[in-house]
Amino acid sequence: MTAVAAVTSPLELWRRLRRWFRPPRTLKTTQVGRTYLALTLGVGFGAFNTDNNLLYLLLGLMLSLIILSGVLSERVLRDLQVRRVGADGAHAGEPFAFRWAISRRRGTAFALTLSEDSAELSGQGMVACLEPGAELTVRGDLTAARRGPHRLTGVRVTTIFPFGLFAKTRVFDLEGMLLVYPRRGYACEDPASAEGGPAGDAGDPRKRDGSGDLLGLRELQPLEDARRIHWKKSAAAGKLLRVEREREERRTYLLRLDDGLPLELLDRHCEELATVSGRLLLDGHEVGLQTHASRLRPGAGPGQLRRILRALAWAGYQEDRA
Amino acid sequence: MNATGRRRLRLTCRDCAAAAAFASMASSGQLPIWSLALFGGGLLLALLDRRILQAHGGLTAILLVVSAMGLGALLASHALDEVVAAGAFAGLVAVQRMLSQPTPAVDGQVHLTSLLMIAGGAALSGDIWFAVWLVLFAGLGCFSLGLGVLEQAAPEGADLPLRPLVRQLSAGSALAVVGAVVFFIAIPRLSWNVASRRGGGSLFGAVSGISDSVRLDGPGTIKRNPRMVARVQLEPDPGTETLDAYWVAHTFDTFDGSEWVGATVQPRPPLWEVHLGRYVQPLVYQQIELLPAYGARSLVGLDSPVLLANAMMHGPSGRSGRVALEEMPGQEVRFVEPGASYTYHAYSTAPDVARRTPEPTERSAYLTLPESLDPRVPALARQIAGDATDPLEAARRLQQYLRANYQYTLELTSVADPLADFLFQRRAGHCEHFATAMVVMLRALGHPARVAGGFYGGERVGTQYVLRAADAHAWSQVLVTGRGFISVDATPEEGRSGQPAAFLAFLTEQLERLEDLWRRSVVDYSMLDQVELARSLVRPPASADSAATQGWSPDLKALAASAAVALATYSILRRRRAARGPRVSREVGDAARFLDAIERRLRAARVRFRDGEQLEELAVRLSGSRHPLGAALDQATRRYLEARFGGRPLPPNERAVLLAALDRASAS
Repeated sequence: MTAVAAVTSPLELWRRLRRWFRPPRTLKTTQVGRTYLALTLGVGFGAFNTDNNLLYLLLGLMLSLIILSGVLSERVLRDLQVRRVGADGAHAGEPFAFRWAISRRRGTAFALTLSEDSAELSGQGMVACLEPGAELTVRGDLTAARRGPHRLTGVRVTTIFPFGLFAKTRVFDLEGMLLVYPRRGYACEDPASAEGGPAGDAGDPRKRDGSGDLLGLRELQPLEDARRIHWKKSAAAGKLLRVEREREERRTYLLRLDDGLPLELLDRHCEELATVSGRLLLDGHEVGLQTHASRLRPGAGPGQLRRILRALAWAGYQEDRA
Repeated sequence: MNATGRRRLRLTCRDCAAAAAFASMASSGQLPIWSLALFGGGLLLALLDRRILQAHGGLTAILLVVSAMGLGALLASHALDEVVAAGAFAGLVAVQRMLSQPTPAVDGQVHLTSLLMIAGGAALSGDIWFAVWLVLFAGLGCFSLGLGVLEQAAPEGADLPLRPLVRQLSAGSALAVVGAVVFFIAIPRLSWNVASRRGGGSLFGAVSGISDSVRLDGPGTIKRNPRMVARVQLEPDPGTETLDAYWVAHTFDTFDGSEWVGATVQPRPPLWEVHLGRYVQPLVYQQIELLPAYGARSLVGLDSPVLLANAMMHGPSGRSGRVALEEMPGQEVRFVEPGASYTYHAYSTAPDVARRTPEPTERSAYLTLPESLDPRVPALARQIAGDATDPLEAARRLQQYLRANYQYTLELTSVADPLADFLFQRRAGHCEHFATAMVVMLRALGHPARVAGGFYGGERVGTQYVLRAADAHAWSQVLVTGRGFISVDATPEEGRSGQPAAFLAFLTEQLERLEDLWRRSVVDYSMLDQVELARSLVRPPASADSAATQGWSPDLKALAASAAVALATYSILRRRRAARGPRVSREVGDAARFLDAIERRLRAARVRFRDGEQLEELAVRLSGSRHPLGAALDQATRRYLEARFGGRPLPPNERAVLLAALDRASAS
């Protein structure tokens, strides 16, 4: 049960129109199937050319196998029920696990391939054998071409059963939305200066040697500060060891996203911000995000990273969210 | 079944399907021996899972190219038929693929090559074995393809239940065969027929025993062989189950004491038709087909043939064409070219009607006796014939004597003088001994005579008469002035017809009935049969007169039958639907319609669902925010849930009350 969405845009109208005119099943010939069809034509040509009844018999067998393919694949695609289980976290440009749950009331189904009915999501999950009555969770490795919200309209269930000559597809109308986080990559930009916490070299998050908890011991290198020597351990080890301490200065960063950029630049900006925020949060800092429209308060931990990624994913697609 | 077992089963099915396809070509007996040996060896290795070409794909591909060039050279020199060469090459490709690394692509290549081979089998072979190979190929191929499809979708090393797959594929294979038959019947035979070939060789070779000579010390095993060698359509049709008739193929005039041979005179030039005597009514027209099992070039005709014409030869490679005939002295006519099978027309007249009388030079050939003839033989002949001077009378006395005093047997031993052994020692022999004794004794009495070879009998199968190898027979013919050669058979009646072992005869008869059915229903199926079938399916239209006088009256029987069929179909459908269970019960439907009505009212009141919000959540939200619709919606929602999931039906009046409450709340 979903809320009734009004037809607001031509795109939505076009989607509905396409759905309305979509055939209940689509059929595609596999590579083996194409050769098989060519051979069938050849045998038919030979039969008509030679009037050899045994060739007619063979032609009959080949034609009946084509029909049988249609009948058995239809049996496999009937009585199926599919629902989306969803994805854990989807980043653009890299495979992510996506799950569907599929079940069947009667009869066993074979060789099913599940995928999303969307050109922007590639990848599929496979089921070799689906027994009646049991719900099977199918994992597929999907890849999204871009970040942002992906409107899911249906799940495609395809089978090449029984002979691998044709791939028959049934699309289950299933509305949904998948939010794809920005691509994970390298950040070219350094983080902006911290809004809170120590400044200067002493506050450089990339350097250790803070005044926090003990992190470890290592041999003193030339020109290093002798005040850091752990005399007791050095005496026991017979060499100069220095103490390394965790940096305890948690600093606060507020990253800024210019969401008025063209989409391509915006994507690049989002990817960099996602990488930088991930790195800062991993180092234990607090990170917030400022856009033109909203502000995400600085915070720390994996929950904050998820919030930032969601915000970055939605950047540029606010009208879809509305 | 685990992944290893599935892989093994899939490859075995694939290789056996290829073997069945190859066997369909091999059963024609036309493939070269090296091709059989290579495929057999490759198949054995593949079944033992020794894929020895996995690491040598490139090298074997080059070898295939070389073998293709070799086959091309054989084709160019006309040493090999095109279809045979193509079939042999397809066999080589199949073996190369079978012994390579098994991948889905390789599996597909093996199956497609097998399809080519089975098409080659269809072109090369015409016998019922093709049906066996085709069914085997279809079944095994379907299993292999199905297992391959399952394998592609299965996770690495997963165990999968195969029973449901086997069930579906078995039913599928059976349906495919049924579908093939239906298509075969229905595809219109609008043939261009520009490259016609006829099914050629047979798995068992030729057995007729018709040859250029007859040795008396030879075994009589042919009399036990029940294979069909000729098929004859007679006009006028005698309509009897058996024909006690002589079918002449050869005559022999020269006897050297142990062997009869044919004429030594040079044959005449080839002709398209051969006239052997005067056309005297009544004539019997024969349309004769000599089957591959016949294995000789002599034409056979009902005694006595006067015309043999319209001969067609069907070569071992399936090529058909008109063939000339050559007349040999002694009433023998041969096909000029050797072939696997022949068809021709013959006319015969009654045996005692005047025929061409041999020239004086020829007459002397029919009086020649062997130099080593035992002197007791002429003495015995004179003793039996007594004072008979008429050749026919003498022949009858000899016939009576031989039938009365000698026994028929097929168990013989080799001796130096088989005629003397038959007449004075063993006093038993087969038809050739009886015929030889008769002819030699007639010649000893001065009457021209010869031995005739061919068949005796004829068994009705369908509308035709068939001759079997066991019907091969030899008898004697005596020359009567003004009437020509008259057949006189000294062999006891029990020895004339075939004597196959009962069980073997039964088996062969069943097989041949099947073969006959196959030939009539499949090999010779034509557009005429399609028209007949279509006619038989359509009720004959009533004549105009009867329609005008009787008017239209419903056929009560047809109406009753239609009603019964409709009732049966309805009850079956209803039972099936009941067994499946209702897809949407009335209660569920009512609840769904109620939900639609609620949602319409909510839209009218501009109440929107939030993302993913359910009706009950919306009701809770509205009640919590003291929305005017809250109470009415809460009640309606609870009632909807009860009707939809609680099994408590929603009567129309209660539905109306709940919706009216919503309307009132909305208006306020």
